Amino acid sequence: MKHFVSALALSAAMATGAAAEDVTIGVSIPAATHGWAGGLNWHAEEAAKRLEAAHEGLDIVINAAGSATEQANALEDMVAVQQIDALVILPFESDPLTDPVRQVAESGAFITVVDRGLADPSIQNIYVAGDNVGFGRSAGEYMVDRLGGSGNVVAMRGIPTVIDDQRMQGFEEAIEGSGIELMAAEHANWSRDDAFEVMQDYLTRFPEIDAVWAADDDMAQGALEAIREAGREDEMFLVGGGGAAAVIRGVADGSETIPATVLYPPSMIATAMDLTVARFMSNGPVEGTFNLASPLITSDNAEAFYYADSPY
Amino acid sequence: MSDTTIAPKRPLRGLDWKMLGPLAALVLLLVIGAFLNDNFLSTANLLNILTRAAFIGIIAIGATFVISSGGIDLSVGSMAAFTAGMMIILMNWMLGMTDVIWLIVLAGIAAGALIGTSAGFINGLFITRGGIEAFIVTLGTMGIYRSLVTWLADGGTLSLDSDVRSLYRPVYYGDILGLPVPVILFALTALAGWVILNNTAFGRHVQSVGANEDVARYSAINTDRIKLYAYMIQGACVALATIVYVPRLGSASASTGVLWELEAIAAVIIGGTLLKGGYGRIGGTVAGALILTLIGNILNLTDLISNYLNGAVQGVIIIAAVFLQRGLSRKSS
Amino acid sequence: MNQNGAPLLAGRGLRKSYGPVEVLHGVDFDIRTGEVHALLGENGAGKSTLVKILSGFVAPTAGEILLNGQPVTFHTMRDAEDQGVVLIHQEFNLADLRTVEENIFLGRELRKGPFLDKPAMRAEARRLLDQLNCKAPETAAVADLAVADKQMVEIAKAMSRHARVLFLDEPTAVLTKAETAVLFDLVRRLKAEGVGIVFISHKLDEVEEIADRITVLRDGTLVETIPAAGVSPDDMARMMVGRELTDFYPDIPAPADDAPALLDVESLSAPGVRNTSFTLHRGEVLGFAGLQGAGRTAVMEALIGLSPATGGTITLRGETVHFTDPRQSKAARVAYLTKDRKGKGLLLQNDLVWNFSLFALDRFGKPFLDKRAERAAFDAAAKKVDLRAASPAMTAGSLSGGNQQKLLLAKVLEADPEIVIIDEPTRGIDVGAKSQIYGFIAGLAAEGKGVIVLSSELPEIIGLSHRVVVMHQGRTTGCLTGTDITEEIIMRHASGLVPPKAA
Repeated sequence: MKHFVSALALSAAMATGAAAEDVTIGVSIPAATHGWAGGLNWHAEEAAKRLEAAHEGLDIVINAAGSATEQANALEDMVAVQQIDALVILPFESDPLTDPVRQVAESGAFITVVDRGLADPSIQNIYVAGDNVGFGRSAGEYMVDRLGGSGNVVAMRGIPTVIDDQRMQGFEEAIEGSGIELMAAEHANWSRDDAFEVMQDYLTRFPEIDAVWAADDDMAQGALEAIREAGREDEMFLVGGGGAAAVIRGVADGSETIPATVLYPPSMIATAMDLTVARFMSNGPVEGTFNLASPLITSDNAEAFYYADSPY
Repeated sequence: MSDTTIAPKRPLRGLDWKMLGPLAALVLLLVIGAFLNDNFLSTANLLNILTRAAFIGIIAIGATFVISSGGIDLSVGSMAAFTAGMMIILMNWMLGMTDVIWLIVLAGIAAGALIGTSAGFINGLFITRGGIEAFIVTLGTMGIYRSLVTWLADGGTLSLDSDVRSLYRPVYYGDILGLPVPVILFALTALAGWVILNNTAFGRHVQSVGANEDVARYSAINTDRIKLYAYMIQGACVALATIVYVPRLGSASASTGVLWELEAIAAVIIGGTLLKGGYGRIGGTVAGALILTLIGNILNLTDLISNYLNGAVQGVIIIAAVFLQRGLSRKSS
Repeated sequence: MNQNGAPLLAGRGLRKSYGPVEVLHGVDFDIRTGEVHALLGENGAGKSTLVKILSGFVAPTAGEILLNGQPVTFHTMRDAEDQGVVLIHQEFNLADLRTVEENIFLGRELRKGPFLDKPAMRAEARRLLDQLNCKAPETAAVADLAVADKQMVEIAKAMSRHARVLFLDEPTAVLTKAETAVLFDLVRRLKAEGVGIVFISHKLDEVEEIADRITVLRDGTLVETIPAAGVSPDDMARMMVGRELTDFYPDIPAPADDAPALLDVESLSAPGVRNTSFTLHRGEVLGFAGLQGAGRTAVMEALIGLSPATGGTITLRGETVHFTDPRQSKAARVAYLTKDRKGKGLLLQNDLVWNFSLFALDRFGKPFLDKRAERAAFDAAAKKVDLRAASPAMTAGSLSGGNQQKLLLAKVLEADPEIVIIDEPTRGIDVGAKSQIYGFIAGLAAEGKGVIVLSSELPEIIGLSHRVVVMHQGRTTGCLTGTDITEEIIMRHASGLVPPKAA
């Protein structure tokens, strides 16, 4: 406990001391292996450019890791080599990365966790939380609403992980007891190609589909191609999520096939970086948990969430 | 006392079990599929399967050449993603210069063919002239092409302009006499591959180099050139598969073609080609590609097996198919 | 005989069938303490089957094996080795990338507690190799050794296993005269220590020199077992083939004095070759003699473009040529048959037709292969070289040595070369096939082709060649003609006792 207090005191001392001087912030995120993560990387880069231009003496180091192990290695380097004053991290997985982040905290760095929480919340100073259960629930509620409480629905899941489970759980909760029948839920691994093939097989398997839920906009776009090829656009609609620019554009333009999506913006990394920089560059204390909702985007509000330049 | 003339081993005794093994597995899967879902044998589903098998199939035909020459190419998946990315960038860029869209599509296709074949040439050059193991060279280029496409796409997705795409669309979605274009191209590639591997001196040389490079050298075969050509054929096949792939989704990203190399190699080996080289079977490769595609299709059409076990089912079937092939061929000799 | 008067190892009524085919028809064979027992027979006579049974490699279909008079069953080779019965294969059973010492102790490593006792193993390996007069360092990788040294390592390995019965399968096929002498010294020493040695060889003069008794097999049956004293090589050959062998070396008419020079090599240098010169005429058989590693093969590989020539001129039919690729020399009708049939000559896993046409594949159609023509050409060539195979679809690896050599010859001749270079034409093949190969060589010369024969067997060189080029340490030390072609003079040149001069 004494150790913990002294660590806090040290970090406070460093933080105040550094406010006028150089501050190095490490940003650790998953590599751009699929669309959403690509957006994440893009937003991180953009935010870094913007923040570095605005604050003299601010240095932001971004590392994109391919796995939880690589991410843990990167954290060690950030402490040892770059000697970061603060860490913004979107952990690959919660449990395995809890201790590596604890090590960073013990070096005196300020910790901001994004999206996935750590197993021990006491480590983090700021938590910008995504809501994956809400992601599925928003889409499910929209479907219940639009289908009027009955219909045949198929789902398309990502790579089996906690995120995927939570989104699926939220979706199932929302449609439970509504009279909507979930006929199948296969994994399309966050991939357009896989989604295309899974959708083709759904179309073979089910003569009547009223709606398709995809746990990510990339997959929604792959599935859409398969539906178009089969000429069955009029039979069903799709709801994805995440906030891909192309999908939001379509929603804003009043698309009938993808009439809505759920916001789970990769720009949350930028939000977290903004908050972290504010901790150092402003006088007010910035700490605590910030919950990002997963609101539904329809043609009414889509324009506000559209980033034309985003690669996602 | 080198007289080991005991019982002459005949690889061919009327029937080629190496070929029949994969065929038996294929038929078995078709029966299982038909049993599990009524729509399985519908024309639409069968055409879906054939069209899907075309990508891996075309690439695997190239891989049959590389593997029977004693090599391996791990870079094909990344090569496909890179080629697709370059094609899309080129076509989008040309849009600002000309309104003649068919010209843009043709230029994209030509560029794809050139990029794929050159990528194969580069692999081959490092392997033959550089004298580096194929595994290492292609592992290296696999990483290089994969990160190049990620970089080109800023980590996101490169999308083809919709005007260009609508003209290009028939290359994937079109059909001739009811047969989808990719299926026709797959069949033509397989036919050409079969003729080249079995009925030309080059095909014989490829397999001889794979069987024993020294013997090939002492038989006045330019082994380096044969190997280089094998990698170029692989590159050309990747290019063809990519040319067909691009209009399907009109996009390329870092996740395009991930693990295609392993699927292509698996298709080749399931088909009876020896991984150590010296013996290639195009017909088997086609069967292997169909088997792999069928597994995915059947799993999507049924709820019998937990989604989490898809990989396990695939693994069991791959091992079983090869066991069938090897086990039967052993019994017959 | 040992204490109880029984032979060390004996087989009684041994039979072996593969499927419906019986290849060994009830053979008796015994090995006594302290004798060298030669086992002779043509390829296919059943020698290897008999040896495999007695060394535990395969089980007999019928009959029994007695060790010191007691019936015994060897379940595995290891089982036989544990009881002192060791077979040294013609193709060595060594792990190429491991060291000599590791190979000698493979599977029986000396230990000190849980750890390997490397110093002790090295010392013991050194002691064994010294006994064999083998200079190979015990720490060298086997792959880096000369063939003769590999043989010595195999023998050292057997000695470390305290062999009481030792099967030597063609041990001298890869050895030079001098190395053979060392081996024979060792055999005599082992014999004096009471080891029973089974000696299998096609070199009948060596059998005459070393054997105490001789057993001859023919077609899977025992011809006879007789004391070796007074049996000449001619007698042995007669027993093996069951008929008289007249004119073992064919009479090859010498080319006319003014026969045109086909090939003239002047001061050729290449890796392993320094300043080598010789001339080949139409209708001539030119012998190349020399010790192992004297550079004979290196000259030929440089000549046909397999390795880069670094200097000198090659004149072919009056024109200067420089081959950098074997395809060029093939087009110029120069062909080389490697001595390494299994490693460089034939694709052992491929069928006979495939192997046959590989060198001259462009003859069978462009762009598409005419398989019917290919098969017809194979049938014709197989008949011409008397290739005996159950089916053209069988693999080259399952042919006997003699038939492999005939296949290799047919393969090269299909390209219709004018100069045929044959490296070790009869290594490891039986007397019957040998005499046929000699006949083919004579035939090629009679057709007006030039033939170069590289051989480590002096009788062969002497019996076939019109002129003999001798090499020593990468250069030609002499070109012998007429009455100068004797073993003694060749050996003097081969050992560098005569100053080098152009051939």
